[in-house]
Amino acid sequence: MIYKFRRGKGKVMDQEYIIAHADKSVMKISGLRVKGLNTKKLEQILMEKLHTVVRVIGVTGESIEMDAYDIEPDQVRKNEKGLIEILALTEGITATEVAQISCSEKIVEVIYDQIPEKPISACAKERWIKRS
Amino acid sequence: MKKVYILPTGDEIQNGTVLDLDSVEIMSQIISMYPKAEVTRISPLKDEEDVIFQKIQSLVKLKPDLLILIGGSGGGHRHSNSLGKDFTHTALDRYLDQKSSREIYGKNGHLWCKLVCGKKESTLIINVPGPYEEAKAATEAFLKAFSEAYSIENICKAMAQAVYDQYPVGV
Repeated sequence: MIYKFRRGKGKVMDQEYIIAHADKSVMKISGLRVKGLNTKKLEQILMEKLHTVVRVIGVTGESIEMDAYDIEPDQVRKNEKGLIEILALTEGITATEVAQISCSEKIVEVIYDQIPEKPISACAKERWIKRS
Repeated sequence: MKKVYILPTGDEIQNGTVLDLDSVEIMSQIISMYPKAEVTRISPLKDEEDVIFQKIQSLVKLKPDLLILIGGSGGGHRHSNSLGKDFTHTALDRYLDQKSSREIYGKNGHLWCKLVCGKKESTLIINVPGPYEEAKAATEAFLKAFSEAYSIENICKAMAQAVYDQYPVGV
């Protein structure tokens, strides 16, 4: 864990920035009908199947977005059919004929020292992209 | 700890797309530690900063000892159009006079989670992330730190460490 410590002024008592050096890929499953999803059960099922940590980070009525840690995106792509079959059996999910999984490449590291302070945004990635 | 409000946020919780497992877990943990506590789960809010801000304001007027907000703690829509809108931490930043915060970033620069702890009048206010395991760990850490009379800064620090420990860092 890396701490960048800054003592706050005025209303802020203290503030710390922590960088988590974890490898993850974002997995998005679209073409679903989702209602009453038990995210805890879904994570457990996928972790057993993929043998890695999976966290649900975004759900709509049609798609589910997840972080999969320490896994090659190719491994997810190769398992696409099996994963959709498992998902279809999960409470709260109905897979449609167009259900598919897209998995981004692993996250790319940024150099924190080169991230500008402005424009003010809660997301350093946004500032990193706008740095030029 | 006599009176506690739990305030879940998120469109997907409000419209029933996702079951609200966090509130149940948090309520269970509080009751286990403080059996006499009156714990109320407030109806979930949409991801809108002003809506969250105004609800916090109205709940604090009812003088609970603790207000816990759930979800909306990441960078969300700020770095991905497909993710939900995360406004809990920005609403708390606006609302709280005295506060401590910890921001956990991924090595790719994305804000994964911002935890804010603070006090307004007699109410201690905290937020926990939406993912179940992280909400559970943050609440456990909060209750331990609170029961040991940690300062707000140290409560926030303990919660951040507990959330950080849920990420498989360096595996």
